[in-house]
Amino acid sequence: MQLKRVLLLVAIISLVASIGIPAASAAAPYEAYTYDYYGDSSPLPAPFVPDAAITGESLGVGDFKEPSDMFVAKDNTTYILDSGNARIIVLDPDMHVNRIIETFTNNGKEDGFAAPQGLFVSDRNELYVADTDHGRVVVLSEKGELIRIIDNPKSDILPAGFKFVPLKVTVDAADRVFVIARGIFEGIMQFDDKNNFMGYVGTINVSPTVWDRLWKSLSTKAQKAQMQLFIPTEFSNVDIDPKGFVYATAIDITSNTPIRRLNPSGDDVLKRLGYWDVKGDIRFRMFGNNSGPSKFSDIKVLGGGMYVALDSNRARLFTYNDEGDLLYAFGGRGNQLGVFNTPVAVEKIGDKLAVLDSGKKNIVIFRPTKFGTLVRQATTEHYNGNDDVAVKIWSDVLRLNTNYEIAYLGIGKSLLMQKNNEKAMEYFKLGMSRKNFSVAYKRYRRELLKEQFGTFMTVVLTLIIAFTAYRVARLVIRRRAVKHEAGLS
Amino acid sequence: MKQDFLKFPLHLIVRPFDGFWDMKYEGKGKLKVALLILLALILTTILQKQFAGFLVNRVDPRSLNSLDDLEFTILPFLLFCIANWSITTLMEGEGKFKEIVMATGYALLPIVLINLPMTFISRFMTQEETAFYYLLNSISSIWFVVLLFVGIMTVHQYTPVKTVLTMVLTVIAIGFVVFIATLAFSLGSQIYWFIFDVYREIIFRT
Repeated sequence: MQLKRVLLLVAIISLVASIGIPAASAAAPYEAYTYDYYGDSSPLPAPFVPDAAITGESLGVGDFKEPSDMFVAKDNTTYILDSGNARIIVLDPDMHVNRIIETFTNNGKEDGFAAPQGLFVSDRNELYVADTDHGRVVVLSEKGELIRIIDNPKSDILPAGFKFVPLKVTVDAADRVFVIARGIFEGIMQFDDKNNFMGYVGTINVSPTVWDRLWKSLSTKAQKAQMQLFIPTEFSNVDIDPKGFVYATAIDITSNTPIRRLNPSGDDVLKRLGYWDVKGDIRFRMFGNNSGPSKFSDIKVLGGGMYVALDSNRARLFTYNDEGDLLYAFGGRGNQLGVFNTPVAVEKIGDKLAVLDSGKKNIVIFRPTKFGTLVRQATTEHYNGNDDVAVKIWSDVLRLNTNYEIAYLGIGKSLLMQKNNEKAMEYFKLGMSRKNFSVAYKRYRRELLKEQFGTFMTVVLTLIIAFTAYRVARLVIRRRAVKHEAGLS
Repeated sequence: MKQDFLKFPLHLIVRPFDGFWDMKYEGKGKLKVALLILLALILTTILQKQFAGFLVNRVDPRSLNSLDDLEFTILPFLLFCIANWSITTLMEGEGKFKEIVMATGYALLPIVLINLPMTFISRFMTQEETAFYYLLNSISSIWFVVLLFVGIMTVHQYTPVKTVLTMVLTVIAIGFVVFIATLAFSLGSQIYWFIFDVYREIIFRT
């Protein structure tokens, strides 16, 4: 009886204790994955876990209403574009409200925003707001004073009666302003620092398939008039990296290149050397729930050649490195903390990620896990050319996930740099990179040949001499035998 | 021995017209040899999938299955022979079934002879050199098709045009056979499950 009681007590205590202490592993309400060489999704440890959610209520400024964009400046000041309330909420690095910009003085009169959709903060902390319903881009100083307004672009290439409806905006170091506007299919609009329209960059070409052309050639005029036009798709969002390359996303479900990296002359220079296209999910259902390819609504350059793209279709975040390898994907739709309803913007705050959810009216802060941190560090070190350091970190990554092909690839590349060709071959094989394997193997073979050439030639020559000697000897013996039979000797 | 297994097949693949004639009329062909070549083909396929160099081997190791290789070599082989025999019987072909099997079997020899060493050599190739691998493999396939063509032509004593026609018809016949077989299999399994269900009902009721 006594024993029973003791056991019961122990059981109760342990039960209570287990409730009191949270599980050691931070639970993420999603599964992180990447696509392996064979196109199967291979599960990963979560690279990021949700930390906290920030709502308008928790900030004490009243609920957000259709928040549409967010920007985190270099000094970790967060700017939230609360579109429905036509205001910009500025948070200090500790995530407390610093100030709220609702109005600014325009020609001595008080002016405000109307359903602004895009926000960008330049390195000099100047705010660029795509004031959508007013059809203008407003540039404000750090203190909220008006610097300039970009509106009514004039150019020969714009049609008469053109209505300027800016959606997203980004600015490069030379104060060139890149604007994505509604109904503009020619590309991203580019303005100089004097508010003049300079032209378009990054035009998306449409190429009708052979089938489309055949179909069109067979149809009548009336049918043609009813047909869907082959219009290029619009860009959905832009970001700019420190080198001045514009990263742009397009919602084009037929395209394999929805993410572009535009150089100053507007050409797409994104590296796509990974196993698969840089287009988010490569395997998805064609019909039904959660079907169709990824549709990117935002992109953020993370540094170290990495960028993260926000898929609004399945509410996932895809992180790529500079070569176009998918590092990891995570996120999803749902009600828990860490999954989204209508994610509209992704930003980075230090090494954390922040996602603005228009549907839930909150911002979710993601904190990197050990795995996420290691992957980021290794990628950055490799990108900066510190391969020795990268190898060490990649091997730590492999300790956390042995199936991470990109880590093998990273180690292989570093080993190749260090001229350790034989070992590099092994790692490239594990990383399933035939191109790199071939390079390593070529070097290894040449090395081996150089070393073994002497031995090899000796063996070959010896064999040739031996063979010749054998033939000669046989000939001589035969001849002798013939002569002997003929009785000549 | 050496004559049957080595000399004659090698002679046949380089001098097909002569070789197939000898096979049919001089009794030099052996069914045993043809089947052995088929077996060797299966073996080389398995070896190639398993051991070809990393640069040319695109087979997912998780999908390697030697029994599958066995099936997917023997079944098409038999299918071709049966379909060809069915067609040529109706089209005044002079070949017996055994001769068709032998001709097809002997024609496979170049594939065996080229694939096996290429599997080995491919392990010592760089990416640029893999072009040779693919080239030689293509040559072996083309060689096989040419031999098959000559073989069928000689065995049935056809003109080239008629041979092409029978080949096309053979392919169609293969389609038919596969269709009928699938149908029969499907019906058969339904009948089987019906009987099984009835049996189960009876078992549960008593």
